[in-house]
Amino acid sequence: MSEPSWGKWGTWEDAESFVGKTVGVTRSPDAVELGAIRRWLEPKEFDCALHTDLSAAKAAGYRDIIAPNTMAFTYGIGPYWAPEDGLSKPGYEPRQISIPVIFDVPAPCKLSFATSVEIEFFDPIYVGDQITCTSKLISLVKKELRVGAGAFFKQEDTYTNQDGGVVAIAHLDIFRFNPPEGKKSAS
Amino acid sequence: MKVGDTLPEISIPITLHRLVMEAGANRDLSMIHHDTKIAQATGAPDAYANTFFLMGMFERQLREFIGVTGRIKKIGPMQMKTFNCVGDVLVFKATIKDVVGNMVSIEQIVESERGVTTVCRSKVEVG
Repeated sequence: MSEPSWGKWGTWEDAESFVGKTVGVTRSPDAVELGAIRRWLEPKEFDCALHTDLSAAKAAGYRDIIAPNTMAFTYGIGPYWAPEDGLSKPGYEPRQISIPVIFDVPAPCKLSFATSVEIEFFDPIYVGDQITCTSKLISLVKKELRVGAGAFFKQEDTYTNQDGGVVAIAHLDIFRFNPPEGKKSAS
Repeated sequence: MKVGDTLPEISIPITLHRLVMEAGANRDLSMIHHDTKIAQATGAPDAYANTFFLMGMFERQLREFIGVTGRIKKIGPMQMKTFNCVGDVLVFKATIKDVVGNMVSIEQIVESERGVTTVCRSKVEVG
């Protein structure tokens, strides 16, 4: 199979022009709902009444069932298809996860991987909330690693609810790079 | 509760079935996380668990520790040292590093046959 590659292509000057700017705003296509929470808990074998039982959530001081904190990440992802996209043709390229510093910031790099993630939590995420994620490129630092030459991109994601309340702020470090000629990438 | 105390470990086997369930639920549909050939073409041994899964598992371990009355304040920075692949059995371990009033700082790690694959620092408020 051919060598994989992804990310928006451009020059280093293009990439550097985005530092300090908002590079993406994603409104979750879905409000927070119980079925999505249950399916999120399932593969992790995660059993907590705060995420499934209204009376338990109220007894713990919440006004409704809350989503797991790190489910904020999921509500920061846009739709993979919408009616205005039209119908897929054979051989179409599957859409990747919407990480703006990879897919909306141009850079001369073919590949990428995440090196560090952190997320701080504020307001709870309640069933019925509508989450929006605003992404900003905080910094870009060129570096050469074993896997190839490229740069670390630091993205700050601020997750807010429909009232403007901040539910979480995440920082994501992504290394975008090109593997050495004739070599496959490895992280 | 004191510095040096450990939290109960969580062991979970990584199967392609679990990764597919996880991708559908957390919406990270990057093919490296559920397509063996794509993952191997990027240098990984097999399809591997994504960031959201690992963060969610760290949250599970913290939640099981603090119960419904506690609050999770922060997870991370989390750093991935190597892959968590199909066929691996991941063991989540955690140690209390600091206690100030109700605030507890915890070091979490993931181990598998590949060694320590992931490290994370977290902060919780106990109720």
